[in-house]
Amino acid sequence: MTPSPWVSRVALPVALLLLAGLMIASLGVGDLWLGPARIWAGLWHHDELAATILWQIRLPRLLVAMLVGAGLSASGLVMQAYFRNSLASPGLLGVSSGGAAGAVVAIGAGWVSHSILVLPAAAIAGALLATGAVLILAQRGASTERLLLAGVALNALLGAVTSYVLSNFTLSYERNAQILFWLLGGLEDRTWEHAAIALPIVAAAALLWPLGRPMDLLSLGALEAQSLGVDVRRLRRWLLVLATVLTALATAVAGTVGFVGLIVPHILRLLVGPEHRRLVPLSLVGGAVFVVACDLLGRAAGGLRVGIVTSLVGGPFFLWMLRRQA
Amino acid sequence: MDAATPGLNALELKGVSVPDRLHAVSLALAPGTVVGLVGPNGSGKSTLLQIAAGLLPGAGEVRWSGRSLGEIPVIDRGRSAAWVPQEALFEFGFTVRSVVAQGRYAHGDDERGVEEALGRLDLMNLADRPVNRLSGGERHRVLLARALATEAPLQLWDEPLAALDVRHALEVLVLAGEIKRAGRTLFLSLHDLRIAHCLDMVIVLHEGRLRAAGPPTTVLTPALLREVFGVQAEIAPSLVVKLP
Repeated sequence: MTPSPWVSRVALPVALLLLAGLMIASLGVGDLWLGPARIWAGLWHHDELAATILWQIRLPRLLVAMLVGAGLSASGLVMQAYFRNSLASPGLLGVSSGGAAGAVVAIGAGWVSHSILVLPAAAIAGALLATGAVLILAQRGASTERLLLAGVALNALLGAVTSYVLSNFTLSYERNAQILFWLLGGLEDRTWEHAAIALPIVAAAALLWPLGRPMDLLSLGALEAQSLGVDVRRLRRWLLVLATVLTALATAVAGTVGFVGLIVPHILRLLVGPEHRRLVPLSLVGGAVFVVACDLLGRAAGGLRVGIVTSLVGGPFFLWMLRRQA
Repeated sequence: MDAATPGLNALELKGVSVPDRLHAVSLALAPGTVVGLVGPNGSGKSTLLQIAAGLLPGAGEVRWSGRSLGEIPVIDRGRSAAWVPQEALFEFGFTVRSVVAQGRYAHGDDERGVEEALGRLDLMNLADRPVNRLSGGERHRVLLARALATEAPLQLWDEPLAALDVRHALEVLVLAGEIKRAGRTLFLSLHDLRIAHCLDMVIVLHEGRLRAAGPPTTVLTPALLREVFGVQAEIAPSLVVKLP
């Protein structure tokens, strides 16, 4: 399927409209349903009950959902260009698990109380370790098999670390909930503090913006890109840091939300083609759309965690992609 | 298009070595020549071309038009030399036109000469097709068109003819003649010794060492071909194919 030019032109406005609609829905849906008029009144504190619900619960949750979606999706896009493989993504490669393990170790060791910066820093450190391990395990060529096997091993190992640490420091009655949160991801009880931790995702996305064109060349081969005038070593270093930070920040506030970085860039590539100058902004908006929609779906289904919904949608999609590749 | 500075060698290698692959290879190519690189499988042809293109670290010195490679910023390299890999693999479905336009990256993506390059490689009717859906030979023509679009004075092509059908191979040879007449330099590896026999100069690699270099009639002797390739060679009339 070749993408048609008019789809490419309308994709970003349509995605933004979709996001706006989902934002209104996300603010409105819950134990107390709020219509657009009441949302408006609540935002300006003309309706105190609505204001409390919106400012205390739904707005921070929505903001975190959007940032997590944008971060994971852009991170996946970068990894796919980096590894020249459309199956590379933060979840499958174990980078998300690294971020979660880092965050959990910091919480378990009690470092988190020192500063708000500790949690994201620990998540970034864990994610960087995982990225480093993938690079070593999947050196040269990075065939799909090697990448995915490295990811399977890392996910199992880091998931075990996360579960082990949580079993040691949490009280038994909340242990399972905590383990579930970090292994499957969630948006429950997200506060403005979480939104603040995830906010640098915006900065990382801005740094990614001008790299779209060289990413095109890199995604067709590192040597080829270098021969055409791309400083491949510098570009790859930047991309790796940005992809890891995007995933780590998303994971620090929402646990390991799976499949976002895999399926959003893939669908967008089918719709508008592989050019990264277009894909970078679209994947940010598209990721936000996907996670906000999955969160809404989970809430409508009686409180399913967002990570469970993204996996229920993404798992079958991934299997379909594998079959198409074969 | 830039011709290489007269008087200087378009490409100069001095004592270039890569462990287990190349052993102290030195050579110099004059501007405005088409030079063939021949040798059995595993003799180091691809490695030599990658070193010449500045894509592989190795001991020794590489100079383009007299300038040491280390002094040339990466972006300038994209304008000075074009490299065509032996394998044309594409993971993503960029259109043929957009891949060829990547040849203009170092020129600020100005799109100049892209349509002409598409035309020269007979890709006009494939221009909007995704590259990952093309046949092997078509993909190679895309890479050649991208190299052409760079307008680089030094062209390094790794087995450009191996995947092409006879007509497209002949057209590429015509292109080689045009590159030469424009004062640019084409260094290409190839397996067909009959084609190598028609070029300005031939370089023979054997087990990572430079075995011979010079005009084909003096280099490609039956004795050398027997020694390097293990074949019996003789000049005899046979089927001749030309463009109409």
